[in-house]
Amino acid sequence: MLEVEGLDAFYGDFQALFDIGFTQKSGETLALIGANGAGKSSLLHSICGLTSETGTIRLNGAEIGKLPPKVRAELGVSLSPEGRRMFSSLTVRENLQIGANTGRPGPWSLDRVTELFPILEEFANRPASLLSGGQQQMVAIGRALMANPDLLLLDEVSLGLAPVVAEEVMAALASIRGESQMMTILVEQDVSRAIAASDCFVCLLEGRVVLDGVSEGADLGAIGHAYFGEDDA
Amino acid sequence: MIWIETLINGLLLGGLYALFGLGLSLIFGVMKIANIAHGEMAIGGAFLAIATANFIGLPLVLTVPIILLMAWGFGFALQMAVINRVLGSDPMPPLLMTFGLSIVVQNLLVEMFGADNRSLDIGALGTASIQIGNTSLGVFPLLMFAIALALFGALHWSLHHTRWGRNLRATSDDPEIVGMMGIDRRRVFAMVMGLSAALAALSGMMLAMRGSITPFSGGERLLIAFEVIVIGGLGSIWGSLIGGLVLGIVHVIGLRLDPASGPLYGHLLLLVILLAKPEGLAGKARSR
Ligand SMILES: Nc1ncnc2c1ncn2[C@@H]1O[C@H](COP(=O)(O)OP(=O)(O)OP(=O)(O)O)[C@@H](O)[C@H]1O
Ligand SMILES: [Mg+2]
Repeated sequence: MLEVEGLDAFYGDFQALFDIGFTQKSGETLALIGANGAGKSSLLHSICGLTSETGTIRLNGAEIGKLPPKVRAELGVSLSPEGRRMFSSLTVRENLQIGANTGRPGPWSLDRVTELFPILEEFANRPASLLSGGQQQMVAIGRALMANPDLLLLDEVSLGLAPVVAEEVMAALASIRGESQMMTILVEQDVSRAIAASDCFVCLLEGRVVLDGVSEGADLGAIGHAYFGEDDA
Repeated sequence: MIWIETLINGLLLGGLYALFGLGLSLIFGVMKIANIAHGEMAIGGAFLAIATANFIGLPLVLTVPIILLMAWGFGFALQMAVINRVLGSDPMPPLLMTFGLSIVVQNLLVEMFGADNRSLDIGALGTASIQIGNTSLGVFPLLMFAIALALFGALHWSLHHTRWGRNLRATSDDPEIVGMMGIDRRRVFAMVMGLSAALAALSGMMLAMRGSITPFSGGERLLIAFEVIVIGGLGSIWGSLIGGLVLGIVHVIGLRLDPASGPLYGHLLLLVILLAKPEGLAGKARSR
């Protein structure tokens, strides 16, 4: 269970998020949608403790909002960041291994990740920086999964992946949903794909929540209005 | 024959230079800052060893490890208490901080030891030599060289085969995000500063064993360390080794050709490298 209340986030003097609040139940996938610059990545970063933020963030009942990133990671927050952020002097295997640093038990291991992305087995000993963009994206997802997270944050993971591979990733994530209580927050540019792959959604506009709800049967028209900030009154 | 001997002596001196460069290069590689106090850390370590060995009378085999531990602790504490607080996107505050530290250490050393030349006495080991063909080589320089090579090897191995090394390389790549990998970057920085201080103290002690030092020797050591990493190439430990060896050879040959030249030829080499191959002999041209 993730509970966010009154969350403000700042980059220096610039405020990126205003009074964000939502809750997500264990085992659920939440789609975070919004236009470019709406604050989606900032929200993921502030859940990780990578911005300076104020407000309440509770993960499974524990207040994590004031803890350093390392401790949040140990408590089960894991991020596949926008732009992949490979460790360029580490091999593919080392990039994956470092994801398991927190030592959390769970289903994900090197074997399981390479089962999901067989190509990574083949390139295990290459510097991660020499992989193609899509392959690097697989490493970033794998690295985040290696932490056996309770809360998996995926920032634009289908960017650069071939549509089939993106579908496979979504299917793999859907399949592990059944077997664990892991929560996922999914940032996606493609709104209808995000809604289809999620249980609930939050739409951001200029750093504020403008719409949230259940994904099944969601009114795509209303989401469109919220997304662009059009006044539908 | 005399040239072979000169070349070998240059190589052996280069091993010590490489150690001076290695500590500085580690700091730069991981934190992207220059430690202006690197020379004073070396000389300070050597003076502490002189105090422990000559004044208190502890044998060198005990003195050296004690000083190394103390240097490591000093570096770790310095990073945790001071430098971590001023690290950021602006390289100036840590630069000024370490500059200030270098001046404080130098003044403390003058205060405590005066400005005289001092050295660490290693007894008969200092004059022992072995004869290979017509060439006579000092046992102590050979030993120092072997220690330097062993340290480079050990560091390379641990960077690539231990979790510590993996975390260190990751932190050097992207310090912002490593927290999410369960890494406390301030601790990694402190470990590196501790290691760098210990390497500095070791090279300072070696310097005081093969010659003599004064409290003012730090600046010149810093210059050598900088030349080593620029000549060899920033960002790889092997760059420091190559830079050190090349600089050692150039210094020794320069002094043989032109005894009054001092470090002149080393500086000239630095200029040539900066003009012809600014990424250093072992460096890769930066693509990012
Ligand atoms: N490191 C930073 N420093 C200062 N401002 C930032 C930083 N990162 C983001 N911002 C600002 O915060 C706001 C929200 O950015 P954010 O990256 O969260 O948007 P986003 O919703 O993820 O957009 P996109 O879809 O383009 O990835 C933007 O106005 C952006 O300019
Ligand atoms: Mg973003």
